[in-house]
Amino acid sequence: MASTTYEDRPKNFIEHLASHMSWGKFIFALVLFFFLASVLFPFYWMIASSFKTYAEIGGRHPVYIPSALRWDAYQELFSYWNFQRNILNSFLVAIPTSLIAVVLSTMGAYASARLKFRGKNIILNSILIIYLFPGILLIIPLFAMLAKIGDAVGFDVQDNLGILVFTYLAQTLPVALYMLANYFRTIPEEIEQAALIDGCTRSQVIWKVTLPLSIPALVSVVIYTFMIAWNEFLYALVFLNDRDMFTMPIKINTIFNDPTPRPHVVMAASTIMTIPIIILFLAMERYLTEGLAAGGVKG
Amino acid sequence: MTAPPETIRKYQKRRWSSLESQEARLAWKLLLPTAIIVFGLVIFPAIFSIWISFHKVNLSNLNDVFHAPYVGLDNYVRVVNDYAFKWTSWKNMGAYITSIVYSFVSTILTIFIGLIAALLLNKPFRARGLSRAVFLFPYVAPIVSVAFVWRWLLDPRPSGVMNDILMRLNLIQRPLGFLSTPGLALILVIVFTGWRYFPFAMLMILARLQAIDKTLYEAADVDGASTLHKFWYITMPELRYVVGALFLLRLIWTFNKFDDIYLLTGGGFGTNVLPVLTYQFSFRLFNFGVGAAAAMILLLTLVVFLVFYVGVFMRYTEED
Repeated sequence: MASTTYEDRPKNFIEHLASHMSWGKFIFALVLFFFLASVLFPFYWMIASSFKTYAEIGGRHPVYIPSALRWDAYQELFSYWNFQRNILNSFLVAIPTSLIAVVLSTMGAYASARLKFRGKNIILNSILIIYLFPGILLIIPLFAMLAKIGDAVGFDVQDNLGILVFTYLAQTLPVALYMLANYFRTIPEEIEQAALIDGCTRSQVIWKVTLPLSIPALVSVVIYTFMIAWNEFLYALVFLNDRDMFTMPIKINTIFNDPTPRPHVVMAASTIMTIPIIILFLAMERYLTEGLAAGGVKG
Repeated sequence: MTAPPETIRKYQKRRWSSLESQEARLAWKLLLPTAIIVFGLVIFPAIFSIWISFHKVNLSNLNDVFHAPYVGLDNYVRVVNDYAFKWTSWKNMGAYITSIVYSFVSTILTIFIGLIAALLLNKPFRARGLSRAVFLFPYVAPIVSVAFVWRWLLDPRPSGVMNDILMRLNLIQRPLGFLSTPGLALILVIVFTGWRYFPFAMLMILARLQAIDKTLYEAADVDGASTLHKFWYITMPELRYVVGALFLLRLIWTFNKFDDIYLLTGGGFGTNVLPVLTYQFSFRLFNFGVGAAAAMILLLTLVVFLVFYVGVFMRYTEED
């Protein structure tokens, strides 16, 4: 016979919650919420502000939720500020940097992981010293040196995106090489030796055995170097003068420092710059997290 | 007695074509592009920077930099006596002391927040993977975007979000200029650094936490240890090395950091640090010699600290 006891009675919401909650869980949930809110709110504010109008920006109180999705800021960005040019420049810097970096660092990493030669440790250690060097220390001599070389050979150092690619390579290659070499070491050497015995040359071994096995590591190196070049601020600030040559970070800085405050335009530009990076990161998160912990991005 | 020339030549030829030296040559070929770029754009400039710091280099002789006049320690003397550099009072700490305070406090804060975040994510719960990904946003997002969002949130006008919230809660009566009040500005720059870089600390600590032998906790449970005891006597000792390494790495990077402070305050209101000061000397005053001297002081401080830290840390670990 079924008798309804207190325990069997359907619980209301509060009781339901209370039966699952302990003090420990409550504090856990509270801290987690605090973390998520403080991480996400600035990003919400960035996107929300980009859809506001001058009236909503200039009011006495902040507008927490924009009244409608207005594209004013984006329109101003593309028609008045010519931002499409800066988006293009960012791609023109970031894509060559990441592709060249992955090719060169694969070569170097293979050499240092698999081949024996004298001076290997000296080379590897001096490459890692870059972890220690402040970017600001290098920029003065680079500026002087490249101006001198530019004069002699006949190219402009200022407003030259190619020069920027080279300086980014210098920053990213060491870490990329280090990460890839660590990855190559995890591939059993026997597989390569078997291929060598079967009559493959070294380059065939690299192409047909090592690289196909390293695709996750190669993808993450491409994305890291892309992100570093995409986000880089200091070198672009020093080497670029002409608004048409600015990469996105420098252009956003210019818009921000304009005498007329235009926070919604700055936020629209920031949104355009941030969203691709976040999407790229979320799509590749599994590959990327390990590399981040290994110090892949020097930040 | 020496070997006949043909023998030497034969031997050399054999060495040249031996598998070992073929491998070595291949290795050098593969490493060459990276080595050239790194040498040309990092190691040579670093050495050149020492040279510049002892010479008078400004815009007028930049094109003829190798003939710049030698000025001895003048550049260093100028940096050390500069009001933006030296300590004058608690209200005006100067870039050197500010750099040290900023790097140490924000490194400790970064690791502390990272530790809490790692402990949160160490327990299984629904949406753990998603939370971890979200926690990484500040670290992967472009510095320019996040710095300007923060400036906009901390806007000094009453329409700034932080001012609005604090005024609604009646915590302040008049709007505050958060990033333009000395003292407060430095604190907020440190908070920003903690917010932006904690994910890095979190990932490293989390990886270590998940590698701790679970039987240690089980044994502690059997002995009736409390959660706090377990944390203090099992978790903390296991984390010691990773926290030590993190501290070093983050301290170096924070000490070298230019973007964050330049974008948040431009180095004003008691937040000037050595990298920003170096930039100001070099690209505002166009006195590259003085700028290089400031950068060398930065590097020297770093090296001294590193030697000290490695000495103490290594001895400490050897004793165990």
